Amino acid sequence: MTKSKTLTGGALLFEVLQEHGVQHVFGYPGGAIMPIYDALYDSDVKHYLCRHEQGAAFSAVGYARAAGTVGVCLATSGPGATNLITGLADALADSIPVVAITGQVPTAAMGSDAFQEIDIFGLSLACTKHSFQVTDINELEKVLHQAFEIALEGRHGPVLVDIPKDIQLAEVTQRLDKLSHLKNKVQLPLADISKALDLLTHAKQPILYVGGGVGMANAVEEVRDFAEKTGMPSVSTLKGLGAINPDNKNYLGMLGMHGTKTANIAVQECDLLVVVGARFDDRVTGKLDEFAPNAKVIHFDIDTAEINKRREADAAILGDLKGNLPLLTTDLDIENWQQRLQQMNTDFAWRYDHPGENIFAPAVLKTVSDLMPSNTCITTDVGQHQMWAAQHMSFDDPSNFLTSGGMGTMGFGLPAAIGAQISRPHDTVIAVSGDGSIMMNVQELATIKRYQIPVKVVLIDNAKLGMVRQWQDLFFDGRLSETDLSDNPDFVMLATAFDIKAKLITKKSEVDAAVKEMLDHDGPYLLQVKIDSTENVWPLVPPNTANDKMMEGV
Amino acid sequence: MNPVTLNKYQLIIMADDKQVVLERILQVTRYRGFLINGMNAEVNTGNNVATITMSVSSERPISLLVDQINKLIDIKGVKVDNSEVQIKQYSA
Repeated sequence: MTKSKTLTGGALLFEVLQEHGVQHVFGYPGGAIMPIYDALYDSDVKHYLCRHEQGAAFSAVGYARAAGTVGVCLATSGPGATNLITGLADALADSIPVVAITGQVPTAAMGSDAFQEIDIFGLSLACTKHSFQVTDINELEKVLHQAFEIALEGRHGPVLVDIPKDIQLAEVTQRLDKLSHLKNKVQLPLADISKALDLLTHAKQPILYVGGGVGMANAVEEVRDFAEKTGMPSVSTLKGLGAINPDNKNYLGMLGMHGTKTANIAVQECDLLVVVGARFDDRVTGKLDEFAPNAKVIHFDIDTAEINKRREADAAILGDLKGNLPLLTTDLDIENWQQRLQQMNTDFAWRYDHPGENIFAPAVLKTVSDLMPSNTCITTDVGQHQMWAAQHMSFDDPSNFLTSGGMGTMGFGLPAAIGAQISRPHDTVIAVSGDGSIMMNVQELATIKRYQIPVKVVLIDNAKLGMVRQWQDLFFDGRLSETDLSDNPDFVMLATAFDIKAKLITKKSEVDAAVKEMLDHDGPYLLQVKIDSTENVWPLVPPNTANDKMMEGV
Repeated sequence: MNPVTLNKYQLIIMADDKQVVLERILQVTRYRGFLINGMNAEVNTGNNVATITMSVSSERPISLLVDQINKLIDIKGVKVDNSEVQIKQYSA
C-alpha cells in the first residue's frame, strides 16, 4: 500500500536519501541551500562539514569508492556549485557514482544574474553523466530517485540535481513507494562468446588486461577465478590495481607509462589481449599504433561507446562482466609463455637497495605496504608519489586503492581519505600525498580535526612539483619552470595546528620505527618523509613512444 | 601539409523532449570532434518526443559520435544517414 505525507522539498530530499540507504553526506552550506540545511537539522542523515566544496566532492568520491555505494555531496549556488565541478569531473573520468545536490536561486530570479547565481545545470553537461534542474516541486521526488538510479546504472557516474530555493521550501506530498523511475535502461546485445573462445583457444601468448571496471562490476572474484583457472598472465591499469591477487605468480603488475618492464614487454609481445573493464587509455597504450601490435583483442565492457573507440576489437562482449567472463574459462596450453614471463618477473623485480642515507620513496612505501593491516585503504594524490604507490604497494582489492586515474586531480587524496574513513570506520585509511598535492586541499585537515577522523597521511616531500620537474629535466632541457617548492610551510607545525600528531623523518634508518608509530597511533597522524628532490619515477615510457621503449634511468 | 578529408553524415536523433536535450547533443558533438554543418530541431512541442536532424562532418568514424549520443540519458535512438536505425532496447 502506498503511504504518503506532506513535506517541504528540503525534507523530501533527506527522506529520499534515506530511502536509498544514504547515512552520510559531505557539504558546505550557503544562502541558496539554506532550506535544505534547515531540513538537515531534523534529519537522521549525518552531515560532514568540509572546508571547501571541492573537499566535499572528493570526500563523496572517496566514500563511494571505498564502500562501493553512492557518495553524496551538497553545495550552495554560484561559487559553491562551481567548486564541486572538479570533483564531478573526476568522478566522471573514473566512473564513480556520486549524487551532487546544489542549491539554486529561486526560480523567479533565475536568469537575472542574481547574487550567487550561476548556470550550474549548463556547466554540469560536460562533467556529469546526467544532470537535472527541478523547477516543479511535484517532480522532485522522481528526479531524486532517477539521480540514484542513473549514478549506478550501467557504467557508473556522477549526477547533479540543482534545486532552486523556492522548490526547497515548497510543500509536496511524498509517495513512499519504490518504483523504478528510470526509463532508458539499456539492454545490451548478447555476447558472441564463441568467437572469443575461438580466439582464446588459438592463442599462444595471451594477456589479461585488467581495468577499473572490474571493481565497479563487483567482479573481482570472477576475474581472479578466471586468471587462476586459465593461468593467463595478467597486467593491470592504475585503476585496476587490487583486482588481481598480487600473489598470483602470473601477475605482472601495472602496464603503461610507469608500468613494470615485464608487463609492458609482455603486452607488446602478446598475441591476444583479453581486456576486462579497461579502455585503452593513452597513459596505458603509449603510442597507440604500436601498442600490442601483434594482438587480437577480446574486449569486455559495460559501455558500448568504449568498444572500438581507441582499438578495434576482434570480439566484443558487452554487458555484465560478472556473468560473462566465466563463460570464457577454458584450459590453455601456454606453459612456455608463463615460464618466460615468470622469469622476467624475477629478473626485473623492484630493487630497494638504494645507496646512501637518504630515504628512497619506493622503499618507504613498500615498508608502509608491508606493515599496514589487511584491508587498509590507500588514497593518493597525483604525481610521483602516486606512481611510486602504484608500483610499490600491494592492494588486496580495488576498493583499497583510491587514486584519481582519469582526471589526475591533485588535491584528491586527503578528502578522499576522509570519505573512505567515514565509510569504513574500522579499517585503516592512509593518504599518500606529495608536498605539492597536499596543499591543494590542505584545509581538509580542519575536517579531520573537527570529527577526529583517524586518517594517516604519508607525505612524500621533495620540495618540488616532482613529476613536472622530472619531465622538465628529461624533455625540456632541464629548464625548471615554476616547480620549486622549497618554501613549503613546516608541515609538522601545520598538522600540529590542527591537533594532528605529526613527525618528520629524513634518514632511511628512521623509516621502520616511524611507520610503526604512525600505524599504531589511534588518531590522525601525518608522517612527513623528506626525500631527495632529484629522484625520478622509473621506468618511464616517453610521450608518443611504444611501451617497450621505456627509459629506465638517466 | 595534406588536406584533411572530412566525411559528412546526416543524423536523425529521437529524444525525450527535455529542455536541455539540444545543449547536450551539441556539447557531445563538439567535444567528440565533429563539426555541425546544419541542424533542424523540433523540440518543446508538447508531445514528449524531440526530433533533431543534424548534418555533421569529421575525420572520425560516425560510430564514435553515435555511441556517445546514444549514451545520453534522454536519447531514444540515433539513425545515421540511410542506414539501419540504431535504437536502444528498453526494459519494460
